[in-house]
Amino acid sequence: MSVLARSVGNAFRNKIRTAAVVAVLAVAIGLALAMLVANQAVVGKVQELNASVGTVLTVNPAGAQGFDGGGEPLTTAQTATAAAVPNVVSVVGMKALRLQTETAASSSTTGTTTQQAGPGGGPGGGTSVVTNLQAAIDAGTLGNRNNTSGSTGTGSTGTTGTGNAGTAPAFSLPITATGIGAEVDTAGKALNITSGTGLGDYTVASTKALIGTTLAEKNSLKAGSTFTIAGTTFTVAGIFDAGTTFGNNAVYTTLAEAQALAATPGELSSMVVTVNSMENVDAAKTALQAALGSGKADVTQGQRNLQTAVSSLDSVKNISLVAFIAALGTAGLIILLIMVMLVRERRREIGVLKAIGARNRTIGVQFVLEALVLVALGSVVGAAIASFASGGIASALISSNSTTAATNQRGPGGGGFGGGLGGGGPFGGASQLLTSVTASASPGVIAAGVVAVFGVAVVGALVPALLTARIRPIEVLRGE
Amino acid sequence: MIEVKDLVRQFKSGDRTIKPVNGVSFELEKGTLASIVGKSGSGKSTLLSLLGALDKPTSGDVVVDGVSLAGLPASKLTEYRRRDIGFVFQQFNLIPNLSAVDNVMLPMEFAGMRKAARLERARSLLEQVQLDPEKQSRRVNKLSGGEQQRVAIARALANEPKLILADEPTGNLDEQTGEHIIELLSSLSRDHNTTILVVTHDRSLAQKTERRFRLQQGKLSEETVRPRVGAGA
Repeated sequence: MSVLARSVGNAFRNKIRTAAVVAVLAVAIGLALAMLVANQAVVGKVQELNASVGTVLTVNPAGAQGFDGGGEPLTTAQTATAAAVPNVVSVVGMKALRLQTETAASSSTTGTTTQQAGPGGGPGGGTSVVTNLQAAIDAGTLGNRNNTSGSTGTGSTGTTGTGNAGTAPAFSLPITATGIGAEVDTAGKALNITSGTGLGDYTVASTKALIGTTLAEKNSLKAGSTFTIAGTTFTVAGIFDAGTTFGNNAVYTTLAEAQALAATPGELSSMVVTVNSMENVDAAKTALQAALGSGKADVTQGQRNLQTAVSSLDSVKNISLVAFIAALGTAGLIILLIMVMLVRERRREIGVLKAIGARNRTIGVQFVLEALVLVALGSVVGAAIASFASGGIASALISSNSTTAATNQRGPGGGGFGGGLGGGGPFGGASQLLTSVTASASPGVIAAGVVAVFGVAVVGALVPALLTARIRPIEVLRGE
Repeated sequence: MIEVKDLVRQFKSGDRTIKPVNGVSFELEKGTLASIVGKSGSGKSTLLSLLGALDKPTSGDVVVDGVSLAGLPASKLTEYRRRDIGFVFQQFNLIPNLSAVDNVMLPMEFAGMRKAARLERARSLLEQVQLDPEKQSRRVNKLSGGEQQRVAIARALANEPKLILADEPTGNLDEQTGEHIIELLSSLSRDHNTTILVVTHDRSLAQKTERRFRLQQGKLSEETVRPRVGAGA
């Protein structure tokens, strides 16, 4: 019988005690693994946030916000200025268009009209062109209310000069079209293309376009289908999912193509600037504003509230890490105490083994292996516990922290938790980001956790194993 | 040959110094069956532990086949116990959750013998000590006292030791089983040419050994030398 076989046999000498020990170990190991899973989920989310929206600055023409305001447009040359700012990793130029449906355009006096107003957000300096697409969003109460106020004021449907507030025609919402210099949306987030392909080189003019899922459904389009903008036929290269109804009522073309459609070559509606890390965002914003000039560009950090979200996630990450280490330490302590108890209980047996010629090392290894057998059993049960409990534990941790974050953010005067661009836009709620963290017990994380548990168990078992070296075989005969 | 030279072991007990072994000297030829008798607390077990390198003497030496134990490091003493000594205890001291054959294989495993070889030898030794073959794979805590002591004797013989030290080997057995055990030790001593030293307080058992020593107040004296029991003509 080998040392390993003897260790396994010893681990099951007292089955009731073994079951109790395994149960206690399983709880500690399960908790440790669940905390590790939660920690890894949060770490992943923080990295995702830091890599995308959390580090994005938006540059608009000075004096312009959305389709409101005035001032001079940004230029392509300014992207080079922005790119030279320290800690800036990418600059993507955008050119916004508003696509009028043919029905809406028929009531308008011109086919291409520079727009000044329009609620709902989006890059400023938009230019209207006619398309044969039908908007995927019905006007509804909000659309008609906005249209009415627009027609009497700033002419959101292009009725300036000819509009009649009392007899407004049937209103159709415009479609957002944006020329992009890279495969990102207007918030700088990578586009999620669900079918088809991207546009390839986004810096050259091309009659290929990306279209939102709901807009594609509304117009029965798929990859390879065609539609027109300002009389030019475009081919749908791919269909993307922005995750929101508003975001999916949109079209993306290459930047050069949008500039050509608007007949404004070299002109940008906005720039999306990505900074290398969240810690550098404030400094980069200041430097960017100085480089572009405060009279020419407004630099905004639309997702500032995301810092609070990420900060909250960071505390969840820290709590879960501390809890993981504590649970791991507890598992090690349990092993230590159990093995010390077993060594004390088997002093006589250890003495006999030494009397018949066993080396201290052989006996020590036997006890370490016995501890590892118990840990292996505890890990199997613990992993099962973790796979069921990690989601719940992560949710509990995150919801507890998001409540704290929300309270802190509202302040004494209350106020909404939402914010950011467009007030409640696709990234308007930090709480949404917090709750979007999903903790799934991946085999890799569980395996890493089990390796850590075994490492701690070896350390925990070494102490009692070393104690066996101090037992003198003479004690066996003395006990006779 | 075992040579014991002026062996002393003393302990401190408060202000007093106790010498359970006080200047013991004797020699045992290879293959001798000898006994040490004495009252409880006379130092018999202490002397046995010194001979088996389980304890270190205050002074004196034990020389086994010309090798002195004095000054040997702990690792060498462990090797000496593994290779040259076999122990038989009053309480048997077998590993309770192992089978008889696994218990006998243990010293051979510690000596690095291959599994197949040690299994074969363990079964052979258990046959020699007359343990029923069907009981060889049984856990030792399911065996009777006499059967356990047979397993313990087989274990003591596992690595073909030069010296077997038996501490009250019949102390936990009934008279008839005890007789069988001492006959077994006698025959093994003869067949394997192994030196066996039995410590006992049972004078009738001691009378069946070739050489008989008495330990009294730490001093050893030889009572008699007689022909081996069952030695025949």
